[in-house]
Amino acid sequence: QQSKCLLILQTHLFFFPEHLKDASKKMKSGLMFVKLINPCSGEGTIYLFNMCLRQLFEIKVFKEKHHSWFINQSVQSGGLLHFATPIDPLFLLLYYLRKADKEGKFQPLDQVVVDDMFPNCILLLKLPELDKLLQHVTEEKEIDKKKYYKYSKEKTIKWLEKKVNQTVAALKTNNVNVSARVQATAFFSGDQVSSDKEEDYICYAHGLISDYIPKELSDDLSKYLKLPEPSASLPNPPSKKVKLSDEPVEAKEDYTKFNRKDWKIEK
Amino acid sequence: MESSEEAAVEKCRIHLRPGTLRDAPPATLHLLPCEVLVNRPTPVQCFFTPAIRQGPDGLEVSFRGRRLRGEEVVVPPSLVGYVMEEKGEVLVGKDPSVGSSNDDEPEQQELVEPPEALERDFDRFFGATGSFSRFTLWGLETIPGPDARVRGALAWPRLAAAVSRRMSPH
Repeated sequence: QQSKCLLILQTHLFFFPEHLKDASKKMKSGLMFVKLINPCSGEGTIYLFNMCLRQLFEIKVFKEKHHSWFINQSVQSGGLLHFATPIDPLFLLLYYLRKADKEGKFQPLDQVVVDDMFPNCILLLKLPELDKLLQHVTEEKEIDKKKYYKYSKEKTIKWLEKKVNQTVAALKTNNVNVSARVQATAFFSGDQVSSDKEEDYICYAHGLISDYIPKELSDDLSKYLKLPEPSASLPNPPSKKVKLSDEPVEAKEDYTKFNRKDWKIEK
Repeated sequence: MESSEEAAVEKCRIHLRPGTLRDAPPATLHLLPCEVLVNRPTPVQCFFTPAIRQGPDGLEVSFRGRRLRGEEVVVPPSLVGYVMEEKGEVLVGKDPSVGSSNDDEPEQQELVEPPEALERDFDRFFGATGSFSRFTLWGLETIPGPDARVRGALAWPRLAAAVSRRMSPH
């Protein structure tokens, strides 16, 4: 027959924004990892909710081959590092709005954000100021004090363009080298920042944002921004350089381990 | 059977105890340039730590007879590192892969937590058992240096903030 044991199932290393530590002083509970849709791939991915501050965080995993950790007096294989960073919940809402748009009508939000695969998506409806957020990507109607929304592609593209612009600004202030092509020049001149072209920044920012939206929308945005088609003569298009690991790793991969039966169990 | 288990996985929430974030004691971490294929307690303090030497341009140690060179990596001040552990009840005895070796385990204490609206029976629980703001990065024969991939990863949160910063509608 079955019996219950209290065990350490898994050890993980995480980076959190500092403000979460301060916020934790006031919280008794409400920090939780849940599986939600990944708006780019359409697959399940782990996110972190802070229901106290009503914030959503995405989890990215750093993974490089042939690494392990010594953590105090223990060894942990894999050498993984998890990063929890704030994510704009509108990326996830947008996924559901586009899906609901196939019906072509105005709908209340609680009928749009419905997911049999990821029932925790209802937590998205508890995030603050959704109304303001949705103005970026939807047309809305108010009937009997209830709001109804409909996806607007035009508004979405303009919102994404603003996202690209604010990301370009961050790339510049953080001195991110956005172009593989300028590296040789930069090596000699030592002045890589000024030799990066505006277009390279926009391509790079477009690549970053494409990780949060479906491919179709990414292509539409690319056309709208008049970005060049990815060409075969450039083996490393800048948009492909942004990744945390040498394999495409989403938090999803590691967390599914939690659910398998081959846990490394320690007492 | 299989499908109902799958459904439970998608519904599952893993709760993190906020209190553990502020009480987590400092942890000592080393990132090794090799894969050790086990997760278990190991006497780091007996064999590894006492062998670390300050060389002319960085730290030196040996592991399994190979020379490692290393340096301290300081985590950006906007980030806090945590060692998180999942502790939880596991049903044992039915599934052979979970371990017949645990068959004779007595039933241990239940997780004593007040029921909260967000917490359900099938949920799981995490807690921070250590925190860190620096770790030692080791390379085989050479210091990993400024191009180490892990350093690039530590810069990611600042870019992520830009991508995800909310805009106010016009």
